Amino acid sequence: MKVIKKVLGEDLRQYTMVLALVVLILVFNIISDGRMLTSSNFQNLLSGNAYVLILALGMLMVIVIGQIDLSVGSVAGFAGMVMAKVAHDFNLNWFVAVLIALAIGALVGAWNGFFLAKLGIPGFITTLGSMMMFRGLVIWISQSISVPAPDELRFFGAGYMPEWGPAFTGMNNSTLLLGIIGIVAFIYFELRKYKHSGEISGQKQPMWAVVTRIVLVSAIIAYFTWLYGTGREGTSFPIPGLILLILVIVYHIITQKTRFGRHIYAVGGNKSAAALSGVNVSRTYFLTMMNMSMLAAVAGILFVGRSTAAGPADGTQWEMDAIASVFIGGAAVSGGVGTILATMVGGMVMAVLNNGLMLMGVGADKTQVIKGLVLLLAVAFDVYNKKTGKASIIGRLFPSKETEKK
Amino acid sequence: MQKRKIMAMMLSVVLATTTLVGCGSGREGSTNTSDEKKTEATTQDTASDSEGEATETATATEGFEEGATIGVSLPWLGTQNWKEAETMFTEELEKAGYKAIVQAADQKVPQQQQQIESMIENGAKVIVVGPIDGTQLGSVLEKAKDAGVYVIGYDRLIENTAAVDGVVQFGSVRTGELQGQALLDGLKAEKGDGPYNVELFGGGPADPNAPNFFKGAMSVLQPEIDAGNIVIVSGQTEFTQCATEDWDNAKAQKRMDSLLAGNYSDKEIDGVLSPNDGIARAIVTACEDAGQPNPVVTGLDAENESVEWVWQGKQYCTVAKPTQDLVAKSIEIINSLQKGEGMPATDVATDNGKIEVPIYELDPTVVKKDNIKEVFANDPDRMALLKD
Repeated sequence: MKVIKKVLGEDLRQYTMVLALVVLILVFNIISDGRMLTSSNFQNLLSGNAYVLILALGMLMVIVIGQIDLSVGSVAGFAGMVMAKVAHDFNLNWFVAVLIALAIGALVGAWNGFFLAKLGIPGFITTLGSMMMFRGLVIWISQSISVPAPDELRFFGAGYMPEWGPAFTGMNNSTLLLGIIGIVAFIYFELRKYKHSGEISGQKQPMWAVVTRIVLVSAIIAYFTWLYGTGREGTSFPIPGLILLILVIVYHIITQKTRFGRHIYAVGGNKSAAALSGVNVSRTYFLTMMNMSMLAAVAGILFVGRSTAAGPADGTQWEMDAIASVFIGGAAVSGGVGTILATMVGGMVMAVLNNGLMLMGVGADKTQVIKGLVLLLAVAFDVYNKKTGKASIIGRLFPSKETEKK
Repeated sequence: MQKRKIMAMMLSVVLATTTLVGCGSGREGSTNTSDEKKTEATTQDTASDSEGEATETATATEGFEEGATIGVSLPWLGTQNWKEAETMFTEELEKAGYKAIVQAADQKVPQQQQQIESMIENGAKVIVVGPIDGTQLGSVLEKAKDAGVYVIGYDRLIENTAAVDGVVQFGSVRTGELQGQALLDGLKAEKGDGPYNVELFGGGPADPNAPNFFKGAMSVLQPEIDAGNIVIVSGQTEFTQCATEDWDNAKAQKRMDSLLAGNYSDKEIDGVLSPNDGIARAIVTACEDAGQPNPVVTGLDAENESVEWVWQGKQYCTVAKPTQDLVAKSIEIINSLQKGEGMPATDVATDNGKIEVPIYELDPTVVKKDNIKEVFANDPDRMALLKD
């Protein structure tokens, strides 16, 4: 057990969900006779869920500051509809239409942020208002009739990276390149971390643990590179997945490495203490809400791209999927706790569950029941662990000496 | 020593999983060429029908094995006709020897997109799609085309994509005409001489059939309105004014409540054009609540409750679009595809924004109190509702 701990790093709790995810994928793969782990299914998994995962990125930050945003679905629907509408009715270039959609996201975010940060109205109420307003506006401007979107947008919602270079690799070379960059970057950051690891505690991580970690993660990246790269010709790691990947990296850095990120956690953990230590609380609130709505616009754009049209019901209940992903990822309802990466794992658990049940031919009704139970169990498990101070499933299956002492 | 053992174990597990689960296929070529041909064939207009048919059969000679997987994606199970479709498709497809995957998407477009993708993953040869929103399935249906899957629209038109082989539906303009005519007949039979006070309701605007129902009905009613025999008291005659978001009965009832409160304090309402049974019942209830005499109300779908109401005289008529007929026609097409005979010939086609889609049209039946026992003679469930 100690060995696993050394390899995975000290904080085992966040790996519970990763483990659950791996088990889910493998179990579904066996039940569905290997239809889960195929190139096309994983391409679908990312293209089909990118919009929820992008919403979850923003929602994690909103939940960390101790708020909630109920308007994201309506805002996504509204931004997507305006984009399709201006492109269709005024013959605007698709690129201009996308910029307009993003601007709408920013404006709505500023509106939400203003009421929360400046007037102190709780996010729940502010965004409940926005949710109704923008749902109404979508129906109003569209007259409840779907609007076809510019064809170029399909690239963002369902497109693939280009094919180029030699054919002997037997896979999509863009995907291959992406995988190689991923592995090299991981090795670089691991070695850098290793170099600096002893500076504070005076005790370096054991080299073998670092090497095992590198081998393990590289193998996983290599496997997915292979999986995504060897699909039908013309397919690759999907574009919505690539957009998501870039956003995940950006937001991981923002939340973990920047001052703004630290402010978010400080405000969420203890608002008064943060204010007293010089954190501008209302500015943090404002920016977080604004960021959320912008991401909602991005999600709306991707979805319209995939659907080839913007519909009046787009975005209905998306906020709930995003919120569920964040909480399954271990964020605390009270705020201050949660990470981008764990949220992505939470979102993927939901996505894989959905996908696997569909592959098995389970209906939407039963899928909803199962997803609801998983959400509840995941959060209950988390709360229970915090109360008892026990580490995780892994920690409980293999009690080490440290945890026994507690 | 122990550390090493565990490490070795972990590594081998990782390696084993990566190699075991990774036994997928290599890269396959796409099947675009046959699609292009097929699109050409379907865009042939009706004049050169025989030629179009020949091309189609030529591109589709292969067929597929008996017992192949057939996917059916329905919008939801919230109304009786969809629930019936689910049951019938499951039973009939299995009876015909296919492996059926029948799923419903709870009125959520992303859910339906993912369900269709999972049907492609499951190796479906034909996917029958009753779309939630006919315009929003473009990219997933193109994926189906790329995988060589036939796509048949069910009950609603699939728009904004070339990746559809045909649509099975009841003629929706025709249905509207029947509704309009039934309303007119009912007014003459039950409300004496005109002019009649009438209100109009339309279906869910996201459903491409809804404007067609309305158009069909108006083609019958408009001349009467112009002649002054029918008065639309509220003045609301545009489809967008009369539409009922999501076919939601509650919204229709609210609209009827406010129409009655706003326009009928000193008048009696004689008739209401209703696009389906749920909305018809909402309208009748609203009229009862407002103390109005029972108006002549049309309907659609022959839902159980409305069949009873028609029998009792509370709802003037409904239009039956027997789910059985739709399912039977769909399975007929699937069988033809299976044998390698391609899509059957049809002389109706509709522009869906990208291509001319072949339409397999069926004729609906108006059900009134005087013919209800004949119409449902072969339907024991509905006959049981007709108590004296």
